[in-house]
Amino acid sequence: MANKIVIDPVTRIEGHLRIEVEVENGVVKDAWSTGTMARGFEAMLLGRQPMDAIYVTERSCGVCTLVHGMASSRTLDMAYGCKVPEAGILLRNLMLAALHMGDHIQIFYNLNAPDYIDITAVAGYKGNDPKLLAIKDKIVSLVKANDTSPFTPTYKNDQYTLTDPEIVTTLVSHYLQAIEARAIAQKCVAIFGGKSPHQAGIIQGGVTYHPNLEDLIKYKESILKVIDFVENVYWKDILFLGAGPLLPVGQAGLGGGYNNYLSGPEFQADESGKDFLWKGGVVTDGNLGAVQPLDGQKIAESVAHSWYDYSNNQPLLAPYEGQTKFNLTKEGAYSFVKAPRYDGKPYEVGPLAWAMTTQPKEFMDIVTKLNIKPGFLARHAARSYQAVDVARNVLKWVDQLAGLMGKGPLIVNDDKPTPNTGKGAGFVEAPRGFLSHWAIIEGGKLKNYQQVVPTTWNGSPRDANNVRGQFEQSLIGIPVPDPENPVNVVRNIRSFDPCLACAIHIIHPESNRILKFVVE
Amino acid sequence: MLSSLTKNKVSRRDFMKACAAMAVYLGLSESFAPKIADAVENASKKAPVVWIEAQSCSGDTEAFLNSSEPTPAQILLDTISLKYQDTVMFGTGYVADKALDDAIKAGGYVLVVEGSIPTADPLFCTVGTESATNPARKPVIDTLKEAYKNAAVVIALGSCATWGGVVQDCPSKGRGVAEVLGKDKVINLPLCPCNPDHLAGTIVYYLTFKKAPPLDIHQRPLMFFGSIIHDNCPRRAHFERGEFVTDYGDPKQADYCLYLKGCKGPFTFSDCPSRGFNENVSWCIKASAPCAGCSQPEFYAGFSPLYVKSNDVNLPGIGGVPSETVGTVAAAVTALGVAAHLVGRSVFGKKKEGDK
Ligand code: SF4
Ligand code: SF4
Repeated sequence: MANKIVIDPVTRIEGHLRIEVEVENGVVKDAWSTGTMARGFEAMLLGRQPMDAIYVTERSCGVCTLVHGMASSRTLDMAYGCKVPEAGILLRNLMLAALHMGDHIQIFYNLNAPDYIDITAVAGYKGNDPKLLAIKDKIVSLVKANDTSPFTPTYKNDQYTLTDPEIVTTLVSHYLQAIEARAIAQKCVAIFGGKSPHQAGIIQGGVTYHPNLEDLIKYKESILKVIDFVENVYWKDILFLGAGPLLPVGQAGLGGGYNNYLSGPEFQADESGKDFLWKGGVVTDGNLGAVQPLDGQKIAESVAHSWYDYSNNQPLLAPYEGQTKFNLTKEGAYSFVKAPRYDGKPYEVGPLAWAMTTQPKEFMDIVTKLNIKPGFLARHAARSYQAVDVARNVLKWVDQLAGLMGKGPLIVNDDKPTPNTGKGAGFVEAPRGFLSHWAIIEGGKLKNYQQVVPTTWNGSPRDANNVRGQFEQSLIGIPVPDPENPVNVVRNIRSFDPCLACAIHIIHPESNRILKFVVE
Repeated sequence: MLSSLTKNKVSRRDFMKACAAMAVYLGLSESFAPKIADAVENASKKAPVVWIEAQSCSGDTEAFLNSSEPTPAQILLDTISLKYQDTVMFGTGYVADKALDDAIKAGGYVLVVEGSIPTADPLFCTVGTESATNPARKPVIDTLKEAYKNAAVVIALGSCATWGGVVQDCPSKGRGVAEVLGKDKVINLPLCPCNPDHLAGTIVYYLTFKKAPPLDIHQRPLMFFGSIIHDNCPRRAHFERGEFVTDYGDPKQADYCLYLKGCKGPFTFSDCPSRGFNENVSWCIKASAPCAGCSQPEFYAGFSPLYVKSNDVNLPGIGGVPSETVGTVAAAVTALGVAAHLVGRSVFGKKKEGDK
């Protein structure tokens, strides 16, 4: 006898996501991941002036915003034949660096940490830190007024829920500080990009903003606060939780999946376009000793179980040939997400994939020593370490840009008219993982435009060979001792930082909506 | 940020100062400060808010989290009671679902809608399971219809929820709240994404006066959308002189007018030039990105192509000019008619869009 549980909406993610799991003997036996919302940007862009794609695709995601504008600009850099000048590269780096840090802070504290704390424990705080006492007073007053939303209601506590008043109160305090820190990171993006979310200044050839010293100082002052939070709050919290109360989660390796990892090159070091802070790479079947270089030609997408049709039912299409033709009633389809495959296989992208393909020594030493296995805790650890890595490099780019000041810095290579025909691909290692855009220009207009985004990799449905996507595979074996409390399912899913426009509802057993069926 | 948590004990003065600032910012006199303080402070009567995301990118949620005065913590802990908001609420699955049901049943809330509503087929956006129209997945439009009925006031937040925004022309045919659900209770707060000050300001105004602020014919608050970007643009003098950016790579042109780069400022009502974004560090045109007209019903498809150094530039009232000659003819063209045309347009526009 197996219980099928539907969680729709999955909250605290971006976009609308539905997860269905089949639970047998208290663990997940099978899983299905469904993106339940589509707008259809790719189809709308056909026939439009190529630069519109930068603006429009940026609206794909308002959380890890700017990465689509960046991927799209890089796509057009290639199609237009633009070489980005040094100051343009640095300004793009500074914006992306701020985004990386701010996004990771938000993902951990505001979107994921609530899965691990019982906020009512705050009432038991006995210390005398005035900040924490203020939080205690506030939460207690909300409880008295019987009005604690949006912090309650939640799932029930389980063995991994933190209930120690000191720890929980500290984390709630960091939750509130995190909101502020991510807003400062967004401000750093806005200084050069006009606003954030949805910066407006990255275009093919570079950026539109002309740097001045005053703004650079503003950026530096603000980014120092973000760096401080990353190094002294975020990273320390992760080390404390990972080596302490949450160590059993890390060692159990819940939520691992295929052990196939893929990451792209990022933080361009110079004008050559060949040197990067992170080189990117591909690891297959957990073979960390054999990192392969990433080859864009090996990317292709299936829509066998997605609400789209390919002409002639092709099993896989490379993004340049990609098609976005909706079929909302397709037999056997269950998601708006396509199924990207690399060399025919599913891969995980994101900070854990970044860590497994770049293998930073400090990080590898810690996880080896603590015996932490791939899974949802490892994903949080990798995410925070990636933020630390960015924090350690960003000031170098600030100084480099300051050195170019007053030399008539060229921020953009803007002499190139829209080509009559052209082709381009743009890669970004976004906070959520490897992102690529692909464009074909004909008659000065977009003939095709495709986006292969991180959550398409991670959240894909089954492909033409019925092979599960990464969310689906990683859920297999996750403990769900109580079908009314599938908290481990959402802990795992959220650790990927899904970006779909989100929604999980569990079908409530009281209203008789758990589907019960016998597995043959 | 923690001032909100301790204000009753320590910083009453700061709090009153913030209320005075808020009054000015809402176009009221400072003498309204105590009334605003009263409305904002009364924690036992925090305004219930239900926030539903349809075809959204969560950009307006993110923008809301960038609020500075009041901060998100002040808003969440002291001002509103956020009953449902799927990007921040702790509950998930059926727990979240039930919180939404309960809030809708209780009624009397501020309904915030983010994202457009698909009209090509309701299955383009579903959240939840089971509804009268679909046994497996619940179209967001069904939830929104229920939520609209019992709302005290509805804020369509961001360009997608106001008129469909970027999604208007997509295969899912996203439309705004007023068009799909009804006009009577709707306050439109466009921009892509919304300016968080506009949201905080509108909520505070509503709490203080128990009614919507004065609106224009597109149901946008006049206090935020009463003037044209072009009229307040710091680059306006360059426009008048016919100095246009034609090459971003030329530092001489750094602060020239962006009209030839596709700027829609002359057709766009918003206070971006004075309010800016992210604590007013910048806004599109300050970063040399042409205004895309994101507060207007025409946005985006009606304004496409954006940002373009076109091969032929269409100047209003003049017609097509080959781009190679723009540099040389721009000044003359301006003197001849562009300025006059646009000034005419903005005066007309103000009359047309400014008064209800
Ligand atoms: S056209 Fe745009 S950049 Fe030029 S003055 Fe008007 S609003 Fe400013
Ligand atoms: S300047 Fe224009 S595009 Fe930018 S936010 Fe304001 S209205 Fe929108």
